[in-house]
Amino acid sequence: MALLERSEWYDLARTTNWTPKYATEDELYPADMSDPYGISTEEWETFDEPYKVTFREYVAVQREKDTGAYSVKTALQHSDYYDVADPAYLSMLKMHYGAIALSEYAACQPDARTARFSKAPGMRNMGLFAFLDEMRHGQIQLWFPHALVRKDRQFDWAHEAQHSNNWAVLSGRHLMDDVMMTRDVPTCAIMLSFAFETGLTNVQLVGLSEDAAKVGDHTFSNLITSIQSDEARHAQIGTPVIEIMVRNGKKAEAQQALDIAFWRVWRVFAILTGVPMDYQFPLEKRAMSFKEYMHEFVITQFQRQILDVGLDRPWYWDHFLDDVENHHHCQQCGIWSWRQTVWWNPTAGVGPREREWLEEKYPGWNASFGTYWDVVIDNILNGRDELAWGDSMTAVCNMCQIPISHRPGPEWRARAHQLDYEGRRYSFCTPVCKWIFGTDPVRYKDHHSIVDRMYSGEIEPPTFDNILKYMGCGEVSEGGRDAHDYAWIEAYRTQPQAAE
Amino acid sequence: MSDAPDSGGIGDMAGPVLRGGEIAQAVIEAVHTDNPDKEIVISDHTTYVRVEAEGGCIIRRDTMEEVLGRPFRMPELEVNLTAFSGQIETNDDYTRFYLKKDRV
Repeated sequence: MALLERSEWYDLARTTNWTPKYATEDELYPADMSDPYGISTEEWETFDEPYKVTFREYVAVQREKDTGAYSVKTALQHSDYYDVADPAYLSMLKMHYGAIALSEYAACQPDARTARFSKAPGMRNMGLFAFLDEMRHGQIQLWFPHALVRKDRQFDWAHEAQHSNNWAVLSGRHLMDDVMMTRDVPTCAIMLSFAFETGLTNVQLVGLSEDAAKVGDHTFSNLITSIQSDEARHAQIGTPVIEIMVRNGKKAEAQQALDIAFWRVWRVFAILTGVPMDYQFPLEKRAMSFKEYMHEFVITQFQRQILDVGLDRPWYWDHFLDDVENHHHCQQCGIWSWRQTVWWNPTAGVGPREREWLEEKYPGWNASFGTYWDVVIDNILNGRDELAWGDSMTAVCNMCQIPISHRPGPEWRARAHQLDYEGRRYSFCTPVCKWIFGTDPVRYKDHHSIVDRMYSGEIEPPTFDNILKYMGCGEVSEGGRDAHDYAWIEAYRTQPQAAE
Repeated sequence: MSDAPDSGGIGDMAGPVLRGGEIAQAVIEAVHTDNPDKEIVISDHTTYVRVEAEGGCIIRRDTMEEVLGRPFRMPELEVNLTAFSGQIETNDDYTRFYLKKDRV
């Protein structure tokens, strides 16, 4: 049967706006959902999605993607890969699924909101496809780890994490609530589709798949690139929105949305992606460092896109480049030391050879982060295991909810950036998180960080055991322990000073 | 333009990032045919291939059909298109990756 080419009917089929008779335009598309910027409907109707797909094409293509991902899983399900995989690699998988699976499912909501409330017909279509995409991502990323729960209870966090108050989840949830669950349609298009999906998911889903393939986990590698092919399409919702806003005198508003979301997503994804790439993957299987992936996909590729759609680099760009050298290394120190507070088994990843690699990729690592690990190594070697665990809570940022820290050593710059608002003091990790709070204090002021909850009576009494229980550790599964039970320390018994 | 440390020289390359495999290989062949005046830069990684040209590049359906030796519809590209640099234009007969701004 001969089919019309898509271009012969697409524009007509997309023209679905009408003149409402029984409700006003504002009732149909309330400003706080559809457009707080006051841009005319005619302007929104110029929205021309760059990455076009019809429903027929969507179904055919998605079917092929799913068939591919599920067949690889089926073909490999009887291999013993997950029984023999390095525990550090399994930790990466547990981190990924716990943080991502239900967040993707939650993303159905902003996408459905786009499908209903956008004033641009083409954007409503793209929102619908994005909604279906995220449904797929939620389901497939629950189904894959489900098979692993019977091997290892920590995989249950794929489903349980987002229902818990684990500190890492509080951080991710605060981010998701801010950039996608509670924003109007055009702002969400910039924050979620552009900053998040065009900007930062590539490093997680393309970069990590490269490393996963190198260690031989083709099931996971194939799964996440399959997911990213959806993202590459529906992330294109953001570009025309920005162009319409810039054309209608709303560049400053679009820029602010980008600046807020890019930073927020960066702070969380640097941990989720940077820690696995630079610490969890076996040294000989690492394709590139996290920093190198950041340069390829974000600092180069995404920066080009920011400029090309008519926006500027975020105002804190230099601070961001500095953070690329530091943030995930700081958090690696914290995650390993406070390992009983997470749902995976953190790996130290700092044997002598690993440290050489870190020094090569991040010059100055040994003189700064290395000094932290020197103390850890010394404590373990001398039987002072009790000093190799954190057992009190650290200060956390009232915006990103991540422990406040900075590069150790002579350059020590860690400090809380504080702000007083309506009689309470808020602490932030960086001037950027403080700036975000200041853009809309009413929006953020009532959130309680994990530390606030210790003082408010929500965690009562606030003993460390109770805090762990509150965070789900020991409840859903045991919290983390060293992924290799200190086996890595043996290299230092034979060459104790090698790292210095 | 780029005055911050480590961000100089972002250039104006644009093009697809594809999952390695049959389609990626076909795109590599097609992109040379379809952009004869451009220098195509291929970065082949284990699971992805980055294909880029200055200012962007175009991939035509006819060329893909010729290379693959079978009918091909441009939306099929999506199955293997995990990312891209620059902006995208999708059409019945071609997919184009480009940058609007001339930022030399």
